[in-house]
Amino acid sequence: MSNVISASHLTLAYDRGNKEIIKDANFNIKKGDFVFITGPSGSGKSTLLKALYGQIKPSEGNLVVGGLDLASARQSKLQDLRTHMGIIFQDYKLVNEWTVAKNVVLPLMIAGYSMDVQHTQAQRLLKHVKLSEHADRYPMELSGGEQQRVGVARALSKNPVVILADEPTGNLDEYSSNVIWDLMENACQQLETTVLVVTHKIPSIFSLPYRHFIIESKGVYEVH
Amino acid sequence: MKFIKNHLMFILPLMAILLGIEFFLVFDRTTDSYEKGLKEGYSMLVVAKKTMALEELKQLNAHIDSSENIKRESIVAQIAKGVNKSSAEEILQALPHFYSVRLDSYVSTSDLEKIKKDLEKDKNIRSVETFGSSYSSSYRLFSFIKFTLRIFIVFMGVISLFLIIKQMEIWKYAHKERMQIMEIFGAPLMLRSGVLFKVALLDALIATMVTGALFLYLKFRWAGQSGIDIMMQNQDALFKITDIAILLAAAVTIVVFAVYMVVFSSAGAQE
Repeated sequence: MSNVISASHLTLAYDRGNKEIIKDANFNIKKGDFVFITGPSGSGKSTLLKALYGQIKPSEGNLVVGGLDLASARQSKLQDLRTHMGIIFQDYKLVNEWTVAKNVVLPLMIAGYSMDVQHTQAQRLLKHVKLSEHADRYPMELSGGEQQRVGVARALSKNPVVILADEPTGNLDEYSSNVIWDLMENACQQLETTVLVVTHKIPSIFSLPYRHFIIESKGVYEVH
Repeated sequence: MKFIKNHLMFILPLMAILLGIEFFLVFDRTTDSYEKGLKEGYSMLVVAKKTMALEELKQLNAHIDSSENIKRESIVAQIAKGVNKSSAEEILQALPHFYSVRLDSYVSTSDLEKIKKDLEKDKNIRSVETFGSSYSSSYRLFSFIKFTLRIFIVFMGVISLFLIIKQMEIWKYAHKERMQIMEIFGAPLMLRSGVLFKVALLDALIATMVTGALFLYLKFRWAGQSGIDIMMQNQDALFKITDIAILLAAAVTIVVFAVYMVVFSSAGAQE
């Protein structure tokens, strides 16, 4: 199976290359892989995720996502790549002045889908994450777990090729966390979506086969 | 209430800039006509030994627009009362030729001096009287009014720009998070800035309409009834329909610049 993500001698750094976070990393991730990335605080897990959606450019080496070399990609190509990604954040990153339904269909809005399609998809996705009755409410009116389910629904709304999740259950109680893991497992299993999750701890309830990368001392290592 | 306040905070400084632009346009038009009046009301006196054609005078200085020969007979009639006809004839022959010379524009006092010198270089011209002191005081007053109004307009523009920058910071604060989230999900610039553009363009339209309405009121209601000569004489110059296009273009330019500044300074999502 082809690589969806491929890193070769990848170095990520801040401060114009002076502060290296990840150095000379090499890894490949295939379509349908479920990947956990763990490591101590400040090790560069979130930095790697940012690099994967093009927020940070590699200082050295190559990082290819969906066939696009992020080191040299133009902004318009990056924008296009992001429309094929679902991104989930620890702090949800929902637009507070928009309703839950509008938040969920943001990727469809960006892709230019009609209002009818957006409405139908919003209903379907909110039913899927068990938030149908909250469609017209605003994010601030929901609990943290509910907000994160909105975030997951948004990430799934355009059947993305890759889902990138940064500590998706970091702020949630056990019940809400289990719901989120369940949703991501389903996406990976049923849609063959590649899922990368940055987390402190791999959940014990997780039932799918997965790959595990550790970031330590600037290196990215796969645990077998 | 907050909605109205947010709009007013952009509309008012934008209106101040548009008022400044409109004041400038109106002032330019009225001073043009005032300048024309001053120019037409002014003439210098040239005393020549022989008759001089306009072309000869124009060759001496390009500012000379027209000349009128002052009839010497009427002068002789005034100064030679009770004198016999042959003596009056002698006086007439001895008198030089007088010309009232008009200029093509309302020149500065230094230019006026130069014209005088150019004319006096000609050996046939005996003297030139520019009536410089009254010309100079009119010119200085005119220049002073022009200068102070321009300073006022620039000052108003600078203050308004600061207020607009302040409003841009508020926009940034209000829209940054949404624009960054949209950017993460791949929204193009126009989509990210769409909401802000709509708000700002609406404000630009309102500011243009209010400014236009204010000047239309000044033109059609106030100026006619004001009893102020300069206003009544220049009623037409107070507002022209083409000014709306100029004001709208200025407002839209400011809006586009302000919105893009906010959008670009908000780009680059931070976690």
